Amino acid sequence: MTALYNPTAGYAAALAAFSWLTSPLAIVIALSLVVGLLMVVLFGYTSDQKAIGIAKDQLKAHLLAVRLYRDQIPVVMGSYGKILRGTGRYLKLAFKPLLYVIVPITLLMVQVDRYLGQTPIAVNAPFLLTVHTTTGEALNDAALELPPEITMTAPPVHVVAENEVVWRLAGAKGGRYALKIGAGGQSVEKAVCVGGDLPRISTVRLRGKFWERMFSSAEPAIPGDSPIESISINYPDRDIAVAGYEMNWIWMFFVLSMVAGFVFKELLGIQI
Amino acid sequence: MAHREAGADYLQILVVTAPFRKRVRLVCLLALCASGLSFLLSCQRAHGGAARSKKMIILGVDGLDPDLLTKFMAEGKMPNFARLAGEGSFRRLTTSIPPQSPVAWSNLITGMNAGGHGIFDFIHRDPKTFQLYFSTSKVEGPKHSFHLGSWVIPLGSGSAEQLRHGKAFWEILDEQSVPNYVYRIPANFPPITAKGKTLSGMGTPDLRGTYGTFTFYTDDPTAAVGAIEGGEIVQVDVKNNRVTTNLIGPDNSFRKNSPPATEPFTVDVDPLEPVARIGLQDQQFVLKEGEWSGWVPVEFQLMPVIGNVKGICRFYLKQTHPRFQLYVSPINIDPENPALPISTPTSYSKDLAKQIGEFHTQGIAEDTKALTAGVLDDKEYLEQAHTVLAEHRRAFDVEFPKFHQGLFFFYFSSLDLNGHMMWRLTDPQSPAYDAALAAQYGGALEEFYEQIDQVLGEVLPKVDNNTTLLVLSDHGFAPYRHSFNLNTWLLNHGYITRKEGASGDPNEPFSDVDWSRTRAYGLGLNGLYLNIRGREREGIVEPGAQADALLSEIRQKLLDVRDPKDGSQVITRIDFASEAYQGPYARTGPDALVGYNRGYRAGWKTILGAFPPDVLEDNTNAWSGDHCMDFTKVPGVLLSNRKIAAQAPALTDIAPTILSEFGIAKTKDMMGQSVFQSR
Repeated sequence: MTALYNPTAGYAAALAAFSWLTSPLAIVIALSLVVGLLMVVLFGYTSDQKAIGIAKDQLKAHLLAVRLYRDQIPVVMGSYGKILRGTGRYLKLAFKPLLYVIVPITLLMVQVDRYLGQTPIAVNAPFLLTVHTTTGEALNDAALELPPEITMTAPPVHVVAENEVVWRLAGAKGGRYALKIGAGGQSVEKAVCVGGDLPRISTVRLRGKFWERMFSSAEPAIPGDSPIESISINYPDRDIAVAGYEMNWIWMFFVLSMVAGFVFKELLGIQI
Repeated sequence: MAHREAGADYLQILVVTAPFRKRVRLVCLLALCASGLSFLLSCQRAHGGAARSKKMIILGVDGLDPDLLTKFMAEGKMPNFARLAGEGSFRRLTTSIPPQSPVAWSNLITGMNAGGHGIFDFIHRDPKTFQLYFSTSKVEGPKHSFHLGSWVIPLGSGSAEQLRHGKAFWEILDEQSVPNYVYRIPANFPPITAKGKTLSGMGTPDLRGTYGTFTFYTDDPTAAVGAIEGGEIVQVDVKNNRVTTNLIGPDNSFRKNSPPATEPFTVDVDPLEPVARIGLQDQQFVLKEGEWSGWVPVEFQLMPVIGNVKGICRFYLKQTHPRFQLYVSPINIDPENPALPISTPTSYSKDLAKQIGEFHTQGIAEDTKALTAGVLDDKEYLEQAHTVLAEHRRAFDVEFPKFHQGLFFFYFSSLDLNGHMMWRLTDPQSPAYDAALAAQYGGALEEFYEQIDQVLGEVLPKVDNNTTLLVLSDHGFAPYRHSFNLNTWLLNHGYITRKEGASGDPNEPFSDVDWSRTRAYGLGLNGLYLNIRGREREGIVEPGAQADALLSEIRQKLLDVRDPKDGSQVITRIDFASEAYQGPYARTGPDALVGYNRGYRAGWKTILGAFPPDVLEDNTNAWSGDHCMDFTKVPGVLLSNRKIAAQAPALTDIAPTILSEFGIAKTKDMMGQSVFQSR
């Protein structure tokens, strides 16, 4: 299970291929091109190209019939019916190869988001460490042990109604540090990244919650018997600036990989 | 055959090229003419080339007082000013009539007095409706709309209009292709179209459209809840250590009756420790008691999908236990997403924010009203005021190194606002003087002066033989110990008549005034108006001889007013608009300008047309220094690295001086002349 929220060797190798790129924008562009190409190739290999070609040709023919025979209502209505059926057939043909494409891309995006989704905490900038406990007793009991590079800049805020305790901290020096949170006689660690360009960031560490953990956490699960349910850090979101607009990397990746896919489809003669 | 074909091609080419050749000749002729013209123009430019390559730096320091400056220089606290004054020139600069910042800076900007630029005060009135409005700008919603249930759907967009008339000096520099940078000059909201970078300053509203409205949240049951001057007190409940309340935003003109838009936020107070977590939209931050947040962005939804406005504000957690007290600053226009135009180019405010972080965009950034209301104490106010100056200095440190050519104008507000608020701690005669506070914060104003000296210290090394440096202020400062309630005086002397059995609130503007029996009224900090027939809605004073006689009568009586405590003359000067102003707007403002003696000023309530019971009152307000007085008693300063020839330079000389330095003739409307020319 750990492999699902930790990068596999394959992913790590794939990501390492882009390590020469230091700008998030360059990474997104390069990644989009490669993914666009891989999507098209994978789709080509896993789909019935001939059947898709026929389905698309038939759709075109029915669309043409609608235009040519627009004064003959029965023909037009019949063509509409065939267009609907043809679309269904096309989607059926595309569904399986799309699955082959979507699953790895989703997993890839989850991993890339660890690097590009948030920025690390700036040196000396305040950040919040929020610990959610299962009981009020555990909340009162919660204690924090910090490495020397991290300091507490305000007393903890106990939010009794939500079984939460919030610490405001700051990092004096760049690096990856382990924060130890003790509660109910147990101790749990949470990593924090201070400074650096593109470190791998985990915003939250969770107990249980398999699917949430897979998509939002990059750390092992908190032991099941711990009174701590979650530990989170409010990393700032990372926006990438393009032509005066700032956006999350996923939007840019979505657009660029689609464009790349359409270009490569033409170049490689693959039917989508 | 091939030959024939080739011949045919050749013929074809000839056919094509014959007119082509003619065209080429024509083009060559035109090119020759153009290059000749260009040569002539370049010669012309070369004539003024030296002027165009000139550099001019102006530090506009609002409220820099000549007496304080002289004192601090003598004490060695302002070494850079002392050096500039010693090696160059230092003069007192004649201020505007009246000596109020919007008027004074408009004089400087246009080279005209209020008769030319039309700004007479912070507030103006519509003589027909007696509606008051900000003098420098007007922000209006769309003219047409229709109602859909509780929604109001606009048909068109709103507008922001600058009300200052006349050409600004940087417009003329633009026309002559002189590069320029203008930072936060007052009376430039919305900023006029400019080629260079400009950022609007004094006159820029907060997101609620006011000069700044703070909000104070408290669970103190004795607190006076509701709107107060410059702010709003909101009662909250602390339930299970949590406060759930709303941030108050701009009036929502998309809703019927325009209720204010609000955004909910929560404050979780630790049960024992003096600390709290604040959650607003998707942001969370922790504040200790006595701590300020950074700028917090907030988005108010006026209408789903299409109508959102963004602002920024700062939180100050004043107290957690036993009483909850939280101050939220006025919500400033977000420089990264400005809801109204605040810079040229529009993207400049965003670019600047990227470089120096979010900053105050509100024209009067120091929250003097919160100190006056007791919501912030002196320490808290000074922290906020230092933040404002720190922002200005960060902007200066980013922009000044980029300056290589043309004009660089940079404005500082700190000496003015802090002169207003901190004067009492330097003046034992002030009714607001507090010895204990004076011992703690009596040096605060001096510290701000020293910081401005440090800025000058950064400028001086960059001043070479080709650079003209001006350091100037719009006016000086004086103590404000006593308030004179002009409207109460006019009422007592029969110039204003209230209706029989008047029961209205005397603090309301012109409440229960019988205009059919009222001959004169006061409005604004120095304005005295006659109730002129044909101009005012119910005017009764005939313009001309009757009006002149009445003004003369009132002038004499006002000049005779003495303070019963010590016999001091309260008003030392009254200027008639007909004598003081020239230009197309000379008769649109007050008919006379009341010039108070040092130590006196119009009371806060009389300014807006109210009638406090006493004519003279002690000023116990924290706002204890002022300049809205007799203009001869509060001159500004003018320092330069060059010899100032004018013995009595005035604000209206500055625009002609700037133009002259770049070899540009002043416009015919400008009143003054270069301060470097002998007169």
